[in-house]
Amino acid sequence: MGNKQTTFTLEQLDAYQDTTFFTKKEILRLFYRYRDLAPQLVPPDYTNKPYVKLPYELIGSMPELKDNPFRQRIAEVFSEDGEGNMTLDDFLDMFSVMSEMAPRDLKAYYAFKIYDFNNDDYICKSDLEKTVNKLTRKELTPEEVNLVCNKVLDEADMDNDGKLSLEDFQHMIVRAPDFLSTFHIRI
Amino acid sequence: MTLKRWSLTESSAVQQRSRQEVDMAFLAPSSLRQLDPGYDEEKQKRKTNPKSCKLVCLGKRKKERVKAIQKIPKTMKEKRELRDHVLTEKTKARNRDAQINCCAQCFYNTALSFRQLKNGLSECFQFFHLWQKTLKVIGSQFGTSVCSYFVFLTWLLMFNIFSFLVNFSFITVPQLLEAKANNLSFTGLEFFTGAGYFTETVLYYGFYANGTISENKSSSPYNMQLAYIFTIGVYFVLCFLSLLYSMAKSFRRNFINPSMYSGNAAKLLCVWDFSVTSEKAVKLKQRNLSTQMKETLSEVNTEVLKLSVGQRIAKLSVHLAAWLVSLGAAVASCAGIYFFSTANLKLFLKDDQTELESEAVTLVLPVVVGLLNHMVPFFYSFLGFFEKFTYPKHQIYTSIGRNIILKISIIGILCYYWLNIVAASEVQCWETLVGQDIYRLIIAEFICCLLGSFFGEFARRIIGTKCCKQLGVPEFDIARNVLDLIYAQTLAWIGIFFSPLIPAIQILSFFIIFYVKKVSLMMNCQPPRKAWRAAQMNTLFIFFLFFPSFTGVLSVIAVIVWRMKPSETCGPFRGLETIFAAISGWIAILTTYSSSLWIVWIYHNLLESVHFFFILSVIVLIITYLYWQIIDGRKIMVKLLQEQIVNEGKDKMFLLKKLRALQATGLPDPGEQRERHSSVHQMPRQQMHSSLPNYIERSPRTMERDSYAEPSGLPETNGFTPRSSAVPRRTSFSPQSEMTSFSQAIPGNQHPGRTTGASEALALALRARQEAEWETDEEDFRS
Repeated sequence: MGNKQTTFTLEQLDAYQDTTFFTKKEILRLFYRYRDLAPQLVPPDYTNKPYVKLPYELIGSMPELKDNPFRQRIAEVFSEDGEGNMTLDDFLDMFSVMSEMAPRDLKAYYAFKIYDFNNDDYICKSDLEKTVNKLTRKELTPEEVNLVCNKVLDEADMDNDGKLSLEDFQHMIVRAPDFLSTFHIRI
Repeated sequence: MTLKRWSLTESSAVQQRSRQEVDMAFLAPSSLRQLDPGYDEEKQKRKTNPKSCKLVCLGKRKKERVKAIQKIPKTMKEKRELRDHVLTEKTKARNRDAQINCCAQCFYNTALSFRQLKNGLSECFQFFHLWQKTLKVIGSQFGTSVCSYFVFLTWLLMFNIFSFLVNFSFITVPQLLEAKANNLSFTGLEFFTGAGYFTETVLYYGFYANGTISENKSSSPYNMQLAYIFTIGVYFVLCFLSLLYSMAKSFRRNFINPSMYSGNAAKLLCVWDFSVTSEKAVKLKQRNLSTQMKETLSEVNTEVLKLSVGQRIAKLSVHLAAWLVSLGAAVASCAGIYFFSTANLKLFLKDDQTELESEAVTLVLPVVVGLLNHMVPFFYSFLGFFEKFTYPKHQIYTSIGRNIILKISIIGILCYYWLNIVAASEVQCWETLVGQDIYRLIIAEFICCLLGSFFGEFARRIIGTKCCKQLGVPEFDIARNVLDLIYAQTLAWIGIFFSPLIPAIQILSFFIIFYVKKVSLMMNCQPPRKAWRAAQMNTLFIFFLFFPSFTGVLSVIAVIVWRMKPSETCGPFRGLETIFAAISGWIAILTTYSSSLWIVWIYHNLLESVHFFFILSVIVLIITYLYWQIIDGRKIMVKLLQEQIVNEGKDKMFLLKKLRALQATGLPDPGEQRERHSSVHQMPRQQMHSSLPNYIERSPRTMERDSYAEPSGLPETNGFTPRSSAVPRRTSFSPQSEMTSFSQAIPGNQHPGRTTGASEALALALRARQEAEWETDEEDFRS
C-alpha cells in the first residue's frame, strides 16, 4: 500500500481508473509488470509523468504475447507511434481492451485493427491471407489459402465490395459468441 | 440517434457544427454509435463549443460518463484529455450549483463515498477471485474451453461457500451454544458413512432443537424453527435470483442470434484464442487449425453427396435404436437403484446385526449409484461409435442430453425413495437418515470423480502412449466433467435441508477436485482438437443447473415443507403436522402484537392468498407475451435490415457498373462535366463540401418520399437523413469506400433505378464519378 503514494498520485490513479476497465490494484499490478520488463528504463516514480517508451522487442517478449502469432500487430495497434513501442498508457490500454470487462464493440474494433495488416481500414484479401498463414503456420498451400479467403469473403462481405469493412466484421462478431471469451488475455 | 436530436433541437444554429458531428459520427464504427448514444457526444465534446459540451455532460451521471469514456476506442492520452475536460466542466457547474443549494453537494459527496466503497469492495472481491493464476495457466495451455470447466467449478464453489456461511452463522452457531454432549464413540469410518458419531452433531437435521435459544434472560430468544426455515428459504431465493441473473446474462451475451451462426468466416477471424500463451499449445493449435481448414475445404467438395431414402431410413433407425437403448439403460438403472435401495432399507432396519455390519450395508447404495453414474456414460459414448453423426455438434448435444436424463432420473428415483419409503418407514428420525444417505452419495460421487480422472485420463494416457499408439493422448472431456459437477451440486442442494452443513463437505470436495483435475489435465491431456463452442456450452450448462437441477430441488423442498410430516422425536420441527405449520403458528402469535400487523397482513393477503398468485401469474404471462411479440418484431427488423445491406451492396455494384459504362462511353456533355470537375478538384477540401449540397439536398426529400411510398421502409430511416450531408467528407482514400458511404447515405433508396427518377440516378452517378475521379487522382498523387 505504501507504494501506491510513491508510484502514482491519487489523481493519476483515478484517471487511469476512469479510462480503463481496471481497479487500482490491477493498475498497480500492471505497472509492476511493465516495470519488470525493463527496470533500468522505467522509473519507480510516475508522479511527474516521465515520458518512457519501451521498445517492441521488450513488449513482445512478455509471456502473454511471446508466442502469440499476432503479437506484432497487437503491439502496433495499441502503440501510439504505430511501431509497437509502448508507453505505460499504451500498455494499460492494451490490457484494458483485452480484459474481461471490455464490451464487445470495443473488442471488435481493435480485433479488426489487428487483422487489418495494411492499415487501410478494410480487411482485404491480402490481410486475410496473412491471417490464415499466421493461424496455420503456413501449412496450407497457396491454393488452399486462396480458397479459404474466398469463402470467408463470400460469407462475411455483406455489401459485396470484395473486402470486409468494420461493419461487416462487427456483424460477423455478433454471430460468433465465443469471440468475447477468446479475445481476452488474462493478466 | 444523436444526430436526430441535434437536428431537431438546434437545427438553425448549428449548420456548420452539425456537419462536424456528422463527420465524427461517420468515422466511428456504426454499431458503437447505435449502442451507445453517449459515444459521439463524448467524442464531439472536443470539437464543439463549451456550451454544448456542458449541456451534454451535465445530463449524464458519473457512472455512465466513465463508462462512455472507457468505451472509446482512442488512445489513453485522448481519453484522459477528454476526461479532464469533462471533469473541469463538471466542477465548474457544481460550484455554481453549490451556491444555490448545498443539498446537491451533500448528495454528490454521498455518491462519491458510495463509489469509493464500491471500489473498495470490488478490490476485496478480487481477493476472493480464487486461483486467478491457475486459471491463467490452464487457459494458456488448453484454451478457453477447458478453462471454462474450471471457471464453472469455482463458480459452484462460491455458491457453496456462500451457502455454508449463511447456514453456519444462522443455524449452526446458535445451536452450538446449547449443544448437548455427544457420547457416541468416534471410529474414523464415519468419514465415509456419515453415520455413527456424526449422527449426534450439528451436521444433521435430527440434532437441532425445536425450542428457542436464549443466552441470558434479558436478550430476546432465538427461535430455532423459524431460523431453520427462513435461512434455508432465503438461501434458495437468493440462489434462484443469482442463477436466473447469470443465466439471463449468459443468454444475452451468447445466444444473440444462434440460428444465423454460419461459421466459416467467424471460424477464421474469431478462432484465435488470445489467452493461449504456451509455445507448445500455440503450435498444436496452429496444427489443429490447419487440419480443420483442410477438412472444411474437403467438406465443400463432398457436400454434393446426398443420401438415398433407404440410407436415410437406416440412419434414422440407428439413431432411434440408440435412443431406445440409452433410455432403456436409464430406466433400468433407476429400477435397479429403486429395488436395491428398498431391499437395503429392510436390511438396515433389521436389528440382528452388529454396528459394523449395518454401516457396511449403508455403504453399498452410494457405491452402486456412483458406479452406475460413471459407467453408464461410458456405455453411452460407446453407443456414439455406432451412430454416425454428420456434425460433431449433434453428437455432443445428444450425449449431453442422454447423460442429463440419466443423472436427473437417478436423483428423481432417489428422492422418491426418500420421501415415500424412508419417510413412511418406522425409522426413528428419517430426516437424519436421508441426510446421511446424501452425505454418503456425495462422498461416493467425489471418489468416483477422482477414480474417473485416474482411469479416464491417467490410465488412458498410459494406454494411448505405451500400448496402442493410434489412440494418442486423451482430451479433457468437458461435457462429462461438467455434468458430474451439476449432479453433485443437485445432491448438495437437496441435502441442505437435511444436513445444513453439507456445503462444507461440498466445498472440500470441489476444492480437492479442482486440484486433482488440474494436475491430471496438466499431466495427461492435450488441448482439444475441435473448436468447442465454449460460450454457448457454458450457457447450456448454467441452464441445466437451473432447469432440471435447481427447479427439481425446489419442488422437492416444497413437498417436504408443505406435505411431509416431520419426525416426532427429533429435529426442530418435531411435533408439528407439517413444517410449514411453524410459520402459520408464528403468524398466529404475531397477530397479538399490533406493531407487527403488517407482517400478518402480508402473510394473509400475499403469501396465502390464491388471488394474489393468480393475478401475479396473469401479469407475468402478459409481460412474457408482450416480450415474445417484441422479439418477433425484432426478428423481422433484423431480417429487413439484412436485406437492406444486401440491397445496398447490389446498389453499389449497379452504380459502379453504370459509372464504368459512363466512363467508357464518355458523357453526353463532357465539357460541362470537366469544367465542374476541375473546379471541384482545385478547391480545397473543406470548400468543396459546401459546394456540393445542391445535389445532396435532394436526397433527404427523396428519401422521405420513398419511405412514405414504401410501407416496408423502416421508421428509423428518418434518423439517417442528416447523414447525407456528410457524404462528401471521408478520410479513407479509395473510390470503393466513397461508394459505400454514398449508398449508405440513402438507405431508403433501395432501387434507385426504379424508385427515383432517371435524372436523379444520373445525378447520383455523376457525383459518384466525380468523387471517384477526384479520389483516384489524389491516390495517384500520393503514390
